[in-house]
Amino acid sequence: MEQVLALPYAWWKEAVIVWLIVAVIIYLVVAVPGLYFLLKYRYKPGEREIGDHEFNVHAGLEAAFVLIPTIIVLFLATYSFSIFKKMRTVPEDAITIKVTAFMWGWQFDYLDEKGNVVKSVVTGFHPNDYNLSDAEKPVIPAGKPIKVLLTSLDVIHSFYVQPARITEDAVPGRITYMWFQINKPGEYYVFCREYCGTGHSHMFSILKVVPPEQFNAWLYGDKAVAIESETNKEVAQ
Amino acid sequence: MREALHVERPYFLASLKEWIFTTDHKKIGILYFTVSYIFFLVAGLFGLGIRLEQAQPGMQVVSYDTYNYLLTGHGAVMLLWWAIAAHIGGLGNFLLPLMIGARDLAFPRLNALSWWMFFGASVLVLLTLLPGNQIKMMWTGYPPFASHPNAGVTALYVFIIHLLGASSIATAINFIVTYLKMRAPGVTFWKTNMFVHALIAANVIQLVGVPALAGAVTMLLLDTYLGTNFFNPAKGGDPLIYQNIFWFYSHPVVYVQILPIFGLFSEIVPVFARRPLFGYPTMVFAIWGIVVLSFIVWIHHMFVSGVPNWARVLFSYTTLLIAVPTGIKIFNWMLTLYKGAIQFRSQMLYALGGIFMFLIGGLTGVPNAAVALDLGLSDSLFVVGHFHYVLGMALTLGILGAVIHWFPLATGKFYPETIGKVSFWLIFFGANIFYFSQLIVGLLGNPRRYPDYPPIPEWATLHMIQTVGALILGLGILLFTIGIIKGLISGEKAPQNPWKSPSLEWRLPVPAPAHNFGEEPPKVDKDWHPYRFDRLEGGK
Repeated sequence: MEQVLALPYAWWKEAVIVWLIVAVIIYLVVAVPGLYFLLKYRYKPGEREIGDHEFNVHAGLEAAFVLIPTIIVLFLATYSFSIFKKMRTVPEDAITIKVTAFMWGWQFDYLDEKGNVVKSVVTGFHPNDYNLSDAEKPVIPAGKPIKVLLTSLDVIHSFYVQPARITEDAVPGRITYMWFQINKPGEYYVFCREYCGTGHSHMFSILKVVPPEQFNAWLYGDKAVAIESETNKEVAQ
Repeated sequence: MREALHVERPYFLASLKEWIFTTDHKKIGILYFTVSYIFFLVAGLFGLGIRLEQAQPGMQVVSYDTYNYLLTGHGAVMLLWWAIAAHIGGLGNFLLPLMIGARDLAFPRLNALSWWMFFGASVLVLLTLLPGNQIKMMWTGYPPFASHPNAGVTALYVFIIHLLGASSIATAINFIVTYLKMRAPGVTFWKTNMFVHALIAANVIQLVGVPALAGAVTMLLLDTYLGTNFFNPAKGGDPLIYQNIFWFYSHPVVYVQILPIFGLFSEIVPVFARRPLFGYPTMVFAIWGIVVLSFIVWIHHMFVSGVPNWARVLFSYTTLLIAVPTGIKIFNWMLTLYKGAIQFRSQMLYALGGIFMFLIGGLTGVPNAAVALDLGLSDSLFVVGHFHYVLGMALTLGILGAVIHWFPLATGKFYPETIGKVSFWLIFFGANIFYFSQLIVGLLGNPRRYPDYPPIPEWATLHMIQTVGALILGLGILLFTIGIIKGLISGEKAPQNPWKSPSLEWRLPVPAPAHNFGEEPPKVDKDWHPYRFDRLEGGK
């Protein structure tokens, strides 16, 4: 089986393919007969100067034009609902990061189970390029679901994780949520997707996805060793 | 007296004073269309500026702020001037009374007021060209950004919307009353041109919706300048209230924009297929179905703005249902071609091309409506590609086709046929190259409203292709404009009813005389129908 790069990207891609198949079929059903009529029923002086005036309305056909598309859209809407449900249900083992957006950067606060901030990373505004120093890159573990709590300090922004193809607005005065998971270590873009002025197109960040052990070391620093030994103790008991 | 009416000069040979103080629907229609066409060209140049900037990663052509101004101007002017004023103010004013056999609109002076308010709004838009007056908040004007200094002059935006809104409400009342009270005897509901049906439906939406938009921007004005807190979260307001009220009007407005275009397709296709419009009653029901549905789908603009999950799912269903009435229209146009006698005049190419663009636009609308897909596509260039297929190209091709079709009625001359065909193919190919690659780059994840983007090779290639497409499209529009001027100066003289259409407006001599049908409305017998070609008398 092909390795899944990210969630909900894998589900999203599947939905895109379903849509594409439906769209191409509908396109052909309309365009092929349309093109055929255009070629076949051309105006010919003396021979075909006026079109048919008998076959102007057909109750059965009109009923089919209503019923068949209704069935197709109800299927698509329900299919999309089933995927939407998975996209919006955060797995229980997710790591929570609170993201605060501002003009034009992000603050990432890593929260523990009690909601205390363990570590913070700030990505500032880089008006001229798309490069970040390591200190500005938020780090996440590969293969672990990440829950993002979103808010904004000033205007509306939107947090878009490009490899996961998921976005949610950061609205001042509200806390919105989303979740995603990236399985392959590497560096990935995050963009602001709600227009927010001069720096909008440079309001980005780079997610550094690392193996889980490396993530723990990064998050807890020196404390990581202690926690690890404690875990080992628990396992031993 | 009767004699005098017949020697009347054509309506357009009036003095400058008459043009300024006119209450004649034809002159006001021409004035509307001229202003909106000029604004279309300017907004098109803004669009080319955007495309040139995006052709490569990095900033080469304009600054971030200038880009944001160009984008705001392109969106607002294309949507409010070109996509509403050109075919409601322009074509609608000119054609509505002629198609129903009336002397003028019901309230000619109110119509003049509509036009002058529209003109005032146009002057305000021109003021934004001055440095320091630029508006940079996008045509949506979302708070709290719209109240931020970075957004530019919010008051100018609000007053533009107020003037346009007042103008639109007056026009809507005028058109609806005209249709209800001033049809010639025999022009019944089921014998009304599709363009007229669509105009009335669009204006019903305007009448219901515009006050909501006016309310939203008024609160924006109060928030920004007088310190109220409708949308200010720091003091208990909520920015999402604005989005709800804004989209309550601004989603239905896309049907104000596209319904009359459906009407234009339905006028042009039967004439050049020499066959009645297939499924005429269903086409009328479909229009009104769209009107009703248009008011219960607005949340799909807010699928990722933090609204509850149940609302997203509910509105995903209602939005997808709109595909049913729009699908009906496409199927019926196709069946109108079946067993026709099809002539490929240039306006027929424009209409068929417009339907083709609308088909792709409709199919690419589905993933924006299906909420699971939209979570990944919202605010990406995919959305931009989608609405340029629908509102950009289907709409523009419809209006340009209509210009060619009714050119003889307005000027007495033909639009040059060769220029019409060549410009169509340029526009059609350019637009498809442009917007199809825009859809793909959107699927790859490129956010919209980005002057700059990271140097990802696929993105850069696709942006370059888009820019090439946009230049071809621009060349086509330029050629079409040259065609208008050439047609006005040296166009071939047109005979009466050049397209042999049974529709009432073609019973007039060309160009249309100043007083339309004269003292008596046109006589309509019981077998007459605007789409019956077998009853045309005397080879007309």
